[in-house]
Amino acid sequence: MDKPAQITLWEWDARYWRLEDQGLEERFFGGPLHRHVQSGDTRLAHLKFDNSPAALALWNLLLSENDRLARYRRHGMKIVGTMKDLGTVPVMALSFENLVAFYPDGAWWTPCLMEQNEGLFTLAARIGLDESLCPVRAMAGAFINREHFPIPDLLISSSGAVCDDFSVIAQRLQQLGFPVHWWEVPHRRTPSYGETAVRLSTGFYAATAQVQFVQRELQGVRRLLEDATGHRLTASMLSAGIRKANKFREVLARLRYLVYTAEIAPIGSLEMLISEMLAIHFCSDYSEALVVLQELLLEIEARVERGIGVLSGDAVRVFWINPVADLRVMNLLEECGGRVCGSEYLFAHALDSIPEDTYPMEALARAVLADPMVGSTLDRARRILGDIRRFGAEGVVISRIPGASHCAYEGELIGETVRQSTGMPVVEIEVPSLCDSIEPSIRTRLEALIETIKTRKQT
Amino acid sequence: MITAGIDAGSRAIKIVLFDIQRQTVFATAVCDQGTNQKVRARRLYDNLLRENGLGHKAIRTLVATGYGRHMLDFCDTTVTEISCHAAGVLHHVSDATTVIDIGGQDSKLIRVGADGKVRDFVMNDRCAAGTGRFLEVVSQRLNIPLDALGPAAERSEHPAKISSMCVVFAETEIIGLLAGGQSCENIIAGVQRSIAQRTVAMGGKDIAPPVVFTGGVALISGMKEALERLLELPVNICPAPQFTGALGASILAAKYET
Repeated sequence: MDKPAQITLWEWDARYWRLEDQGLEERFFGGPLHRHVQSGDTRLAHLKFDNSPAALALWNLLLSENDRLARYRRHGMKIVGTMKDLGTVPVMALSFENLVAFYPDGAWWTPCLMEQNEGLFTLAARIGLDESLCPVRAMAGAFINREHFPIPDLLISSSGAVCDDFSVIAQRLQQLGFPVHWWEVPHRRTPSYGETAVRLSTGFYAATAQVQFVQRELQGVRRLLEDATGHRLTASMLSAGIRKANKFREVLARLRYLVYTAEIAPIGSLEMLISEMLAIHFCSDYSEALVVLQELLLEIEARVERGIGVLSGDAVRVFWINPVADLRVMNLLEECGGRVCGSEYLFAHALDSIPEDTYPMEALARAVLADPMVGSTLDRARRILGDIRRFGAEGVVISRIPGASHCAYEGELIGETVRQSTGMPVVEIEVPSLCDSIEPSIRTRLEALIETIKTRKQT
Repeated sequence: MITAGIDAGSRAIKIVLFDIQRQTVFATAVCDQGTNQKVRARRLYDNLLRENGLGHKAIRTLVATGYGRHMLDFCDTTVTEISCHAAGVLHHVSDATTVIDIGGQDSKLIRVGADGKVRDFVMNDRCAAGTGRFLEVVSQRLNIPLDALGPAAERSEHPAKISSMCVVFAETEIIGLLAGGQSCENIIAGVQRSIAQRTVAMGGKDIAPPVVFTGGVALISGMKEALERLLELPVNICPAPQFTGALGASILAAKYET
């Protein structure tokens, strides 16, 4: 095993050819990373990557998704765009043989990866989606110029308690001639006294009536998918899909536990962010995503076993809340002397197992209501507090997404709850799609957080 | 034994030479930031050493802090403004619990634990409305020098209400207030209250005494009183507030081995 390290894109290329000479085995989407820069993902040139072949496969899986979607289209498979959906309809799609779920919202990273050269925000602004909305508006630009992903055969979007910004963006798409099937997610309220309720995977409770409501909404989605594919989705097929999703989530849970509890960080936070994102829709390829994740887990198990990693042993343990619009910031934390030990990237429920001991449609409905974003901020804060303690974090970074409605008020409430409950320092940062101009400001906050924690540890 | 701290701030470069044995400030220097911060900081540092008959080897450790700290590659290490301001304030007020630092381009609120260590901090460097920049804008707009703002504010009888949360729009609002017949004194006092409001809001409910006010804006009279009125707590101005960051850097320098 080579010594784990974080290396630049150019170092990876030199390493790639060496590994290839030594017989590197890759999946069909493999290859050197620089080819993604040549095709426009110029931000990669500013990032640092894990040097393992397993991490290379992870990046290649992520960055080759559009090629796979195009291939599915050529092979006559149906593509369903599962919008504002953090791991529910993709599980239903997984239960069909000729259907693949795609997550168009993921296009929010395109302005970062392509350093805004593609003009997606400009296109979105022309149809009234300006910077007062979350960077997910880049997705609308990608629908207009049709240069980033094939337009899905079906578009299904949740609405209601999930995200105001996204509803605005998806409504605009609908007006532009991209029909969207909507399903409603209610705000998860506290069950009334005497009302029957169920405990959800995230530890929250939901009124049975709300679970039944979501189940009815999902029935509409199910019928739509059946019509599109020409196949009936039986309970046993859906159960099989849930088991597959759970298998993936179990591997991810093991990976998270090993990485976040290890004494020395066995891998960087950037690769962990991407690994966790895979849980949303498996990067449009369940089988390959599972293989990639399993290989990464093997690499991490070996590193943890040997007590080796990519960062120094005194890296400060930081819990990270919300995903960043600019991936560079995850590297920045590590340059400042920190490491991510626990995360809540707004889709914590997609990391939990879906119940297998109940009727599968009800299980999915419960999974929907387990979403921390659809309930009170205090619920979300409690879940975060539990994970902070579980992973032994020493400080917290709350990363705001400019324009995102949830971030505007949740960050302060979560920060205050964490401060009061744990006494640990919390820092809030706002990360736009390209943070170069404000990097000194973000760096100061992160360095100050690390300094504060290190000073507090000194006896 | 002498250590040095350089605070490369957004408006000025400040240097403190600190006598570790005597725990006193040995010498200080300040200059405008200019466009080439590294060159200006280096020149200021060299001049300060020369004026005090010291060679470079006399300085045990040199620590850089402030916005431009990473540009000063002739320093031994860097420490953030948060840690340095806290250390600088604690040198003067050992039981300080809350440190408010308002500089030219940013503001910070630092909470210090009973053990004298930074407990937590909040920072605003994205909006000029809570910083000294707001005072510069009002100074230019009203054609009143910065050092005359404080005395003018003291003459105010009814501070104007500045509702804008952004300096650019607030400037428009000031034009409207002038057109409406508001006195310059009331406008200045209104701006001071607005800066204080934003700073206090940053700290939420968790602001405990003793509160110490530092940074260049602490030099402007009227700001301390504006903070006191909102906090309903006494606010102490740190001695030589403009040098607090550099002082803290020079004190923390003693902990670093070169």
